[in-house]
Amino acid sequence: MDRLDFNEARAVTRRRLLAAGIAGGGAMLAARALGADVDLRLPGGPSKRAMTSDFPQKGAMILQRTRPALLETPMEVFQQSLYTPNDRFFVRWHWGDLPTSIDVETYRIRVGGHVERPLSISLAQLLRMPRIELAAVNQCSGNSRGLFEPRVPGAQWGHGAMGNAKWMGVPLRHVLDLAGVRGGATAVRVGGMDKPLVAGAADFEKSLALDHARDGEVMLAFAMNGEQLPLLNGFPVRLIVPGWFSTYWMKTLDTIEVLAGPDDNYWMAKAYKIPTTPHANVAPGSKDFPTTPINRMIPRSWITSVADGATYGYDPVLPIEGIAMGGDVGVARVDISATGGRTWEPAALGREDDRYGFRRFTARVNVPRPGRVKVMARCTNTRGETQPMEANWNPGGYMRNCVEPVIVRLG
Amino acid sequence: MRAPSLAAIVVVLIAGGLFVLVAIGAGSGGAPKPVTSAVPPAPSVSANGFALTSTAIDLPDDAATYPAGPHVDVVNQRCLSCHSASMALTQPRLTAAQWQATVEKMRDTYKAPIGPGEVPLIVEYLTAQQAAQSGAQQAAPQETKPQPAG
Repeated sequence: MDRLDFNEARAVTRRRLLAAGIAGGGAMLAARALGADVDLRLPGGPSKRAMTSDFPQKGAMILQRTRPALLETPMEVFQQSLYTPNDRFFVRWHWGDLPTSIDVETYRIRVGGHVERPLSISLAQLLRMPRIELAAVNQCSGNSRGLFEPRVPGAQWGHGAMGNAKWMGVPLRHVLDLAGVRGGATAVRVGGMDKPLVAGAADFEKSLALDHARDGEVMLAFAMNGEQLPLLNGFPVRLIVPGWFSTYWMKTLDTIEVLAGPDDNYWMAKAYKIPTTPHANVAPGSKDFPTTPINRMIPRSWITSVADGATYGYDPVLPIEGIAMGGDVGVARVDISATGGRTWEPAALGREDDRYGFRRFTARVNVPRPGRVKVMARCTNTRGETQPMEANWNPGGYMRNCVEPVIVRLG
Repeated sequence: MRAPSLAAIVVVLIAGGLFVLVAIGAGSGGAPKPVTSAVPPAPSVSANGFALTSTAIDLPDDAATYPAGPHVDVVNQRCLSCHSASMALTQPRLTAAQWQATVEKMRDTYKAPIGPGEVPLIVEYLTAQQAAQSGAQQAAPQETKPQPAG
């Protein structure tokens, strides 16, 4: 059995830092496993988290976990900006041995497997290839997992394991065509630089069906909102899979492998699996049901102008703003209800840069008298899919997309 | 080539002296000295109007260990290898069976260095720790709970 204790794990991290020539200045976080700066309102708790600004290239973030980093975006960021600033964009790593130093001159993306010509692509070469740019929401498969009832184990995210950015990069199709995909290929598997700290654990890799990988929109992105990516968000190259959950958006991408058969790697075959039922919904406690790898996103919306549980001065008209996403297609409409869902009024929609991005919505809700008011937003996408009123449940805590009411007190 | 004039030499000496004074002042200030000025610019590659610049980051350490409880030494020894204590401490209230499944998954799938016989010790700690937390919450002043929807 491979033995590795805490000190060895830290030594491994330290060796990486030494190799990068930046050891010695490691900022020590105060010993605070559980902070109390922000309340994510997770049913039954623990619900409070510390805010942290201790992570490189990141601003104030909700600290879910220091090692490996899990950082959540506070909801007010989505109110402030339709595009999530790079330094406020959520962070999620699986394995503790994550890259801390990238040399752009020696970095290579290796393309191999079932291809005519294996390639080793430098970043200078990548920058000279044809580019596309599009806006897309990057949302963790487990976003809002902490709100599941009954609760399920896993990273206990509120709603902030998501962000919207403009991504610029090279279509994966272009790189695959350069390598020449051989007949019989079925899928494309990608891997990044993060590695397990323990021997024998499965390297984090994900794969897409070949047709999906070659759709011309899946891209090797080197720019995020016009700048190079923060390292914690995948610098220098991250896979962008518009409309699909973030688990496929491989960070620090350095390998592309064309497969001629099914991907039986743990991270595709066992992890990130959802029930095949509508909304990935099963009865709480269910275990044996058919599953499939999590895939496309579905519509969601959040009211961001007022905070759930807050009190505001009374005014007969309550202005409402929020953000909506269609999933893997655009937003068709957002409706607002302040009558518990009995009546709905259409919200006004802001501009759409790309169908995969966030869309701003605004509305005005009449509040006849001071007191408690529950406001709901409900997004319908261009495929006709509408957010359900009831929350789904599955043991992984995936695919939540129900209407998220906000209850405020006025006066 | 003309010899430098006396005035030019004086200017250079004064400027050099000022530089030394500034350097001493910066060094004694206690604030971390910016290293970027002393280091050559990070390598970068560029094409078609976009540049990528080499980057190194220093991740924060996490010195937090698990709060006291039964077998906490085993938990600190085994459960800090791969992740911060906050990962376990932010979990919702789980049953012993759920913790058992989680710890076994950590051992079998994620290769956590958990030895034979240690799984029940870790499960005992986690369930006891959550019970203690839950008790502390009940003893504390009640927080304002969100109103039921409706």
